[in-house]
Amino acid sequence: MNARILAFLLGTVGMLIVSGIAAPNVRAAPAPTLSIVSPSPNEVIGNGGPVVVVFAVTNFNLTDPGSGTSSPDSGHVNVFADDEWTSTASVNTIVLALPSGEHTIRLQLVMDNGSALNPDVNASVAVMVTQGPSGGTPGLSISYPREGALVGTDSTISFRVTNFVLVPPGGPGGVPNEGHVRVLLDRAYYADLGDVAPLHLNLKDGPHNVTLQLVDDAGGPLNPDVRVTLHITVQALVGRAIPFDATPFLALANLLIGLGILAAIYRKLEAR
Amino acid sequence: MRPQKCATTPPARARRGSSMVAVVVLTSLLLASIVSSPASAAAPSLTIVSPTDGALIANGTRALVQFLASNFAFVQPGRVGQTGSPNEGHANVFLDAQAVRLLTDVEPFSLSLTSGPHTIRIQLVADNGTSLNPDVSASVHVVATQGPGAGVPRITILSPTRLESTGHGIYVSYRIENFTLVEPRGQPNAPNEGHVQLLVESHVVMEVIQSEPVLLVSLPEGDITIGARLVNNDNTPLNPDAISNVPIHVVASSAVSLPLVSNGGVTLLLAFILVVLVLRRRKVVGRPPNGRGGNS
Repeated sequence: MNARILAFLLGTVGMLIVSGIAAPNVRAAPAPTLSIVSPSPNEVIGNGGPVVVVFAVTNFNLTDPGSGTSSPDSGHVNVFADDEWTSTASVNTIVLALPSGEHTIRLQLVMDNGSALNPDVNASVAVMVTQGPSGGTPGLSISYPREGALVGTDSTISFRVTNFVLVPPGGPGGVPNEGHVRVLLDRAYYADLGDVAPLHLNLKDGPHNVTLQLVDDAGGPLNPDVRVTLHITVQALVGRAIPFDATPFLALANLLIGLGILAAIYRKLEAR
Repeated sequence: MRPQKCATTPPARARRGSSMVAVVVLTSLLLASIVSSPASAAAPSLTIVSPTDGALIANGTRALVQFLASNFAFVQPGRVGQTGSPNEGHANVFLDAQAVRLLTDVEPFSLSLTSGPHTIRIQLVADNGTSLNPDVSASVHVVATQGPGAGVPRITILSPTRLESTGHGIYVSYRIENFTLVEPRGQPNAPNEGHVQLLVESHVVMEVIQSEPVLLVSLPEGDITIGARLVNNDNTPLNPDAISNVPIHVVASSAVSLPLVSNGGVTLLLAFILVVLVLRRRKVVGRPPNGRGGNS
């Protein structure tokens, strides 16, 4: 009896093992999958990148292109940036150099011969690349001269930016933490600055105000607006060591003496 | 005894046989479990060989990371029919907690680093992406800089020279050693990189990132001192301070003094003409009406 039970059990286990081994050959193989681990959707890639894409696959063998026969469960990954093919990958990490702006990165599993799987297996992620830092609030300040300063005709204004990278104007708008500095002189446009070199001014005498404003690559103001205004007074002879400026008195003396000469000439003519 | 031996019946033999089979199976399972037990297998280990902890990654270069893993087989995750087994999987690489690599081999790799301190961490994970138990990871702290890796930063003003007489606007040229100029934008400080502050009478008047001569304007007249200082990205002085000072003498330009001189000259000329006219008038008044001066 026990022998029969043992034989029955062994037979059952054997059938289970046999059926388990044979099952993959009978059932359809699980479909390959592809997912992007990093970057996360809409992630801001700071400092100009590069964009490192880490992806994961299942039920798919990654092989170097041209390394074997094509089958639907092995091959490589086609990499697209903004619908433009950029490269292939047979490892789980891709490093992409992308310019500033918003980009869509799409990965597609393909067979060794480059043809897409059926059904197509792909994954995509949108990222924002900026030359600036990926986080932080942009800041702007004027380090020289101080507010209300008296300056000469020629003067320079030094400023500092934080969490913001200055680039030449003309790029796409809406890129965080990068752009340029717009200079308004007496509330009128004066210049756009693409670097932190001091601003050189040559102004006529009198009060002036200089406004510096951070704007994005397309010239639009940031949100919230970042600007700083400096009030200065220009006086031509600032810094000149003139103990006594006799110019106005000399001018008055010239006028009086000139009148005296005219009077003397008149009297002389009258005397004749 | 004999009758007992003879009393061994077929069912009894069957029971004894099945018992032996059970003992053999159990023993085999026990041995198998001992052999395949994770506790008996050497635990995976991971070591980062390069860069060393605290290393300085200089000149803006990429960090080349070399590591060693033992008792761990690197395989591509997600392969067809992959069942996973202990001591098998891949490695995740994190740069400041951001995933930057998925490694399926022990080949060295390089990372692009921004200026400042960073942490590079490598973690061994199972095929399904879960961390091992216990966790196996290694990390190093590095500092990246655009500047050189060695040498004391130094700045020297080349022009103007000491006690030179200059006008109100001058070009200041300087030489920088062991230091790289980078645009300050709020990034962390890093060794041997930063920018230049120009000082007039110890007051910062300009901050520049150029090695070309810089124009200073509206300098105050007289004996003054101009300076150039290397500073960190956050405008703090280096340690030790790297500064160069030069005393100069600023004199008024002719453009300033000329109006004063010309005005004074004109005044003198007009005064002279007036005096001449007045004297001639008096002389004319003092003469006789016929102009001969004698009796008529």
